[in-house]
Amino acid sequence: MVHRLKTRLSSLFRRSRYERELASELEFHIDMLTEQYVRAGMAAAEARRAALRNFGPLERVKDDVRDTWLSRLWETLVQDVRYGFRNLRRSPGFAFVVVFTMALGIGANTAIFSVVNGVLLRPLPFKDGEQLVVLRQQQPAAGVEDMGFSYKEILDYRAAKSLDGLVEFHNMWFILLGRSEPERVSTGVVSANFFDVLGVKPLYGRTLQAADDAPGAPAVLLLSHGYWKKTFGGDPTVVGKVYQMNDRPHQVVGILPPVPQYPLEVDVYMPTSACPFRSSKSALENRTFRIVGTAFGRLKPGVTLDKCHADLSVVSSQLQLDHPQEYPKERGYRATASPLQAEMTREFRRTLLVLLGTAGFVLLIVCASVANLMLARMVRREREVAVRAALGASHTRLLRQLLTESTILAIAGGAIGLGLAHWGVDLLVAYAQQFTPRASEIHIDTSVLLYTLGISVVTGLVFGSVPAINGSLSVSPALRDSGRATHNRQTIRNWLIVVQVAASFMLLIGAGLTIRSLIKLQQVDPGFRTDNILTMRIDLNFTKYRNERTSEFWQRVEERMKGIPGVITAGGGGTFPLNDGGSPSGSILIKGRELPQSAGGSRVDFLFATPDYFAAIGQPLISGRNFNLGDNYGARQTRPVALINRSMARRYWGNEDPLGQQISGNGGNSWATIVGVVADTRQQLREPVRDEVYLPIFQRGFLSTNWLVRSRVDPAIMQREIRSAVHAIDPDQPVDNFRTLAEVRSASLASPTLVATLLGLFGLLALVITAAGIAGVIAFSVNQRTHEFGIRMALGAQRASVLSLVLRQGLALVLSGLAIGLAGALVLTRLLATLLFGIQPTDGFTFVAVSMVLIAVAAIACLIPARRAASVDPMVALRVG
Amino acid sequence: MAPKSELLQGTLDLLILKTLETGTMHGWGISLRIQAVSEDVLQVNQGSLYPALHRLEQQGLIASQWGASENNRQAKYYELTRLGRKQLAAETKNWERLAGAVARILAH
Repeated sequence: MVHRLKTRLSSLFRRSRYERELASELEFHIDMLTEQYVRAGMAAAEARRAALRNFGPLERVKDDVRDTWLSRLWETLVQDVRYGFRNLRRSPGFAFVVVFTMALGIGANTAIFSVVNGVLLRPLPFKDGEQLVVLRQQQPAAGVEDMGFSYKEILDYRAAKSLDGLVEFHNMWFILLGRSEPERVSTGVVSANFFDVLGVKPLYGRTLQAADDAPGAPAVLLLSHGYWKKTFGGDPTVVGKVYQMNDRPHQVVGILPPVPQYPLEVDVYMPTSACPFRSSKSALENRTFRIVGTAFGRLKPGVTLDKCHADLSVVSSQLQLDHPQEYPKERGYRATASPLQAEMTREFRRTLLVLLGTAGFVLLIVCASVANLMLARMVRREREVAVRAALGASHTRLLRQLLTESTILAIAGGAIGLGLAHWGVDLLVAYAQQFTPRASEIHIDTSVLLYTLGISVVTGLVFGSVPAINGSLSVSPALRDSGRATHNRQTIRNWLIVVQVAASFMLLIGAGLTIRSLIKLQQVDPGFRTDNILTMRIDLNFTKYRNERTSEFWQRVEERMKGIPGVITAGGGGTFPLNDGGSPSGSILIKGRELPQSAGGSRVDFLFATPDYFAAIGQPLISGRNFNLGDNYGARQTRPVALINRSMARRYWGNEDPLGQQISGNGGNSWATIVGVVADTRQQLREPVRDEVYLPIFQRGFLSTNWLVRSRVDPAIMQREIRSAVHAIDPDQPVDNFRTLAEVRSASLASPTLVATLLGLFGLLALVITAAGIAGVIAFSVNQRTHEFGIRMALGAQRASVLSLVLRQGLALVLSGLAIGLAGALVLTRLLATLLFGIQPTDGFTFVAVSMVLIAVAAIACLIPARRAASVDPMVALRVG
Repeated sequence: MAPKSELLQGTLDLLILKTLETGTMHGWGISLRIQAVSEDVLQVNQGSLYPALHRLEQQGLIASQWGASENNRQAKYYELTRLGRKQLAAETKNWERLAGAVARILAH
């Protein structure tokens, strides 16, 4: 086998030697034959002539031998390519149009494939990343999807047999001091062996080790790659430096490589000993103190996910037996594991696949359109192909030559498309960052390049084969009757148009549905105002502030912010509507009432607010009173109060007055009095109004608050004043994450905007290409039928009837395409269902509107050549025939 | 001279392989041998012998080597490879089966 390969390849490379040897070999044979004739009695010269004659045409034999060499294949390929280029140079307009449309089609596919490759296909950059899982504790019967973990639960699950390591992660913050401004540093607090289990090696320095987690160990931290680049300019000498964070000096011991971070991107990593909450007595002893947000596990080699679930349920059943109060049976407590890669990409997966599918449709339309153009061109080339066939070109050779031409065009288009894709990928990465931590892994790498080359060659062969087969057949003696070949060609062209129309219809439906869905989302009334509101976050230094000191701080902040000139009002909330991240939810009890305890039965969201929060966000008070300064930290146990929203009031009290009623969110341990009812708001545009309980921030020891400032002027310019106001209270307190509420709103619509924009662009492109295709085919057919039109008109037909004849022909094509597209759309739009809001995938209005647009555009495309047909002078037409 | 029979490409290949079974030979020798053994019925068309030889070599069924001939000239000698021997056995069996079938039809 190897020898065979060697022989074939050597014919490629040692051509001149082969030629020489062949010449000698044949010369030897002829000499021997000559000798034979001489021995038989002929004269030397005559013997030689006879031998040559007997042997046959020398060059012919040599050529036949050469045909067996592999180099022949290469030669003909080079010949075909040169010939193809010459041909294309003669019709530059055609070449340009084809290359340009191919570039658009291939470019779109390459861009989207880069994203799919980086996010979905490429394995995680962790050692044996497919063995990593995310563990969750759930109580699905009570509607709880993610309980988090407590320290004790982490220890319990660490014992599960399938796991080769279980590590924890939770997110908090520190204040970095000693620079020009105090800076909030988001921190991932992790187990000491976190990076070992995940399989991450440091870029510089070291990762965490067991000694770092010991109580009293010196404070260390690791820098994430992004933070290191951004804040320290990528300077490796930062390792070993010490920085003041909160009240302790922390030393940088290592820098991490660029890896995707789950569940969120943090600036630095610290061991669990660094977090006082995590190291507190309650956290260590209390099974229900669930401070750990995320638990990662590594499956032992060879262990399947099912086996892991089985082992986890062994642990959870044991826990239910040992601690029945903490894990009540009716809540359906269980623990699950899901692969890390799937978790990182879940949100984005469906959108990406839809985009890939639509890009594929665009490529299909582009191929059909180019095939059509090439078929049209075949007419002019018929004679040339016939000559080549007559000169001895075999059927396969003709086919190969035509295919080479189309592949050249496709590869040229692919190369330009790659350039377009480069630019498109940058845009897509910016979007992708919001939905998956793997966005940073999106590059145009080798797989993408191979993909581009692959689809270029395949599309070149596909769209080239149509005219190639047709063209080579037209010179076949069997189909010498050119009328038959032409008719065949026309049918093929018609079918190509039908395909284009069908695919365009489906694309346009997709575009129409997603655009309408986006509009509906934008029109959702969230129940508050979004103009001229600036949001920001203040996370307090938790070592400095505790309990009533936090309340005092917030009260002073609210006062000062309201005092800034230009500010109408300002208030703080645990979160605010449209913000990413949600509110805690839980079940409530109402004093004096029996409430169903099952899933969703009495679940509400708990939100936190300062008194002026509602004025700031524009959420009116409907009855009762707002929070006031009397509801402060001192009164938190004597007079705890709460506000509820209208939806909750209606649900539990109907039209009766809920004021004065008492509710409990912690199972009856403490009760709060309802003092007022506020209007409903939507926390997320896509979600319905939920039942909400508002608790006063001033009555709690809240460390982290989002602030809303409503101003008369554009609030963005108030950043400096706001910072100064806060620094007047505490100069070491950072204020960050300034965004106007309008920006937050756009960000929440980022995904549907992306999809609608891309589908809209693709749809428009498809429409233009298809319209041009229809115009081309109709114009061509009109040209062929000039004679016929002339006769009709000479026989008395009106111009209008000729016009309608042409129009009918065009519309017949469009309607067939529409019918096929309709069937396809009804099936495929189901896949879009999860991306749509407020609109059915089979929305009648969209279907009708798109059909009408398509028919109108097609009619216009037909009209231009139709008018030309109708204006034919019968005398000229008859003469042409 | 007996009428020459036209040789199909496949059968020429088979004959070449068989001829080389007994030893190495150059192209001239192969054509003489086939002529001789077939008692002059088969006269190999020189024009198709060499393309066949080169094709068989590219397929790995025979291997070539330059050597000195009887009259001390340089000639290209061909020999059967192991793959060639296997192919020869298979083709021979095929041919015999085909010939047998044809003979049976003609006998009826």
